[in-house]
Amino acid sequence: MTCDEAKILLPEYWSQGLGEAEEIAFEVHLADCEACRTEASRLGSLWKGLALVPAEEPGPQLRGRFYNALSAYRQGLESAARPRWKDKVAAWWPKQPAWQMAASFALLAAGIGIGYGMRGEKPREEVHQLREEVASMRQLVALSLLQQQSASDRLRGVSWAYRAEPSDTEVLSALVSAVKNDSNVNVRLQAVDALHAFAASPMTRQAVVQALPHEKAPIVQVALIDLLVDFKDRDAAGELRKLAATESVDGGVRERAQWAVERLQ
Amino acid sequence: MARVGAGEVAQLAVLFERHHRGLFRYFVSMNRNRDLADDLVQDVFFRMLRYRGSYDPAQSFTAWMYQIARNAGVDQARKRMNDVVDIEEFAERRAELMSPAPGPEETAVRGQDLVLLRRAMDQLPAEKREILVLSRFQAMKYEDIAEVLGCEVGTVKVRVYRAMRALEQIYFTLEKEKAS
Repeated sequence: MTCDEAKILLPEYWSQGLGEAEEIAFEVHLADCEACRTEASRLGSLWKGLALVPAEEPGPQLRGRFYNALSAYRQGLESAARPRWKDKVAAWWPKQPAWQMAASFALLAAGIGIGYGMRGEKPREEVHQLREEVASMRQLVALSLLQQQSASDRLRGVSWAYRAEPSDTEVLSALVSAVKNDSNVNVRLQAVDALHAFAASPMTRQAVVQALPHEKAPIVQVALIDLLVDFKDRDAAGELRKLAATESVDGGVRERAQWAVERLQ
Repeated sequence: MARVGAGEVAQLAVLFERHHRGLFRYFVSMNRNRDLADDLVQDVFFRMLRYRGSYDPAQSFTAWMYQIARNAGVDQARKRMNDVVDIEEFAERRAELMSPAPGPEETAVRGQDLVLLRRAMDQLPAEKREILVLSRFQAMKYEDIAEVLGCEVGTVKVRVYRAMRALEQIYFTLEKEKAS
């Protein structure tokens, strides 16, 4: 291997990207060539230093702008996909004036009839569709954020979960998982609060009861107890009694558990 | 991306969560302007939507995305060619991005001053800075970088080496200035 050949392999050598044979040939060359050895060490040190240069982090407004724009783009796509009503009407509209007048009267009569029929205020299909889209967007944002490494992102995910539909089982599962497993107390605490909206689901109650004995932070334990009281979950009384009787549990938490048992009786 | 290409536009949110930080760092490294980087990241994702039909799932997604990013950056630079940047605004931007004194996490590591290293990166010519940003900050494969830059893999290796040499020279110059 020549010096020129060795030099262009340097970055791959630092990144451990060389194949075995190439790496051996490269190291043999370094062992024999002091100039290349010195250069490899000098530049290698800078290469390592580059990995330590702090990364610029985007501000929170970038995410907000993106989701707003995406939502607007989707709405634009939907409305562009729908055929224009004028074109449809024009295709059916008669060419003769007499028939045009007859059609006008027929439309007027039909309009009056439909007006009477619609007094029951049925939700319009478009509004329903739009609602579904917004719900799906909220779900996507909440789920994406809840999986992030940074605790502040996960907290934002919980905030988005507040806006999810109470019937959204995917968001509910993500919140339950955050309550049970998240390493950050603030995320767990906020996730417990967000579960209020999902009171109707038996899964929520079951998950809260299961999380209670495993939770170690008193502030989250109290929030879980309060949630069970809000749910009026009498089946949870047994678990709460156990907690109240456990000596290793924080005194304030035990008192709160005892209070909850009394409220649920 | 294949799902976005098939019309599931909402899936773009997943790509955004995965890649917006990397793209932001790329643009800040290239332009030293956070507001402009915000706009360009946004632009890249909407170019991805617009040109989703051109994405070939057999191709590397990262390479395709950075090709779009480069084009967005070039278009923006062309637009700004006619803009006269006020010298005070320019100085302000640089001051925002460069902390005057190293913080605790930026103290010298292995005898290096990371603030100096960042300043050396800023002073590199754009094409050298770009290749280091892609290969080191974004940890992209050389094959993908070659696709983004439209050159051979061997050329990428040579360019990375040359960029490191240039970086070293600037770094030592700055170090001497600091010492004197």
